[in-house]
Amino acid sequence: MTNQKQLQLDRVFHALGDPTRRAVIRRLGQGPASVGELARPHKMALPSFMQHLAALEKCGLVRSRKAGRVRTYQLQPKPLKAAEKWMVAQRALWEARLDRLDDYLLQMKESET
Amino acid sequence: MSIPVIDPKTDLVLERVVDVSPALVWRAWTEPQHLKKWFCPRPWATVECRIDLRPGGEFYTQMRSPEGENMEGGSGCYLEVEKERRLVWTSALGPGYRPAVARVHDLFFTAFILMEPQGQGTKYTAIAVHPDEASAQRHAEMGFQDGWGTALDQLVAYMKTI
Repeated sequence: MTNQKQLQLDRVFHALGDPTRRAVIRRLGQGPASVGELARPHKMALPSFMQHLAALEKCGLVRSRKAGRVRTYQLQPKPLKAAEKWMVAQRALWEARLDRLDDYLLQMKESET
Repeated sequence: MSIPVIDPKTDLVLERVVDVSPALVWRAWTEPQHLKKWFCPRPWATVECRIDLRPGGEFYTQMRSPEGENMEGGSGCYLEVEKERRLVWTSALGPGYRPAVARVHDLFFTAFILMEPQGQGTKYTAIAVHPDEASAQRHAEMGFQDGWGTALDQLVAYMKTI
């Protein structure tokens, strides 16, 4: 893995390692939202909250766009997609393993009788 | 402890019904000479397997790649052993419940194999629970997926030849 990729990964994990930032990710999972909407449920000063958003944007989990005076954040699904793909691969592995087990069990049964 | 709480984002639940007795399913999972025959996909081979069948006992497998390279499967630890009903082990602990050291390509998981008689056969459920999405993602990013993807491709290729 390149250093660049490693660095990005470290940032993703750092970003996900905070409850406020995970709450933002969950909210953005329902669709894009403005800074105001995102900040409302959190009891913290706006500058502190903005730092959380900056951490999420820096690692590529979210992207923001400014239209007039409103900045809107949107989830970037790519880093999270990797986890989903991994689960699909895990399922395929287990399915294949149990298929082999089924075949083998029938062989065992035959050789016992 | 009964069935674990399942998070569909990180956990797998697979159910099967087979036309053999729970006793046979149990032996296939708990006797090395049987487990070696099906545990990993050909042309990979399970070349070594140690099973110390008791809570805290070792579950060790070693695999060999088609090129003849040995891959340490590492030592897992059995957590629950209930003959012909329930087998639970984890890769997060080694023998004697000693916490395992995470290596680059490891991902910790706990596997549950639950069996119950159904008619003449057995219904069994395999459950694999993983830590969280973040570690699954780290695993994916570390190239695990490519490695296993290759193994799967090989498996499919092999299946087509038989």
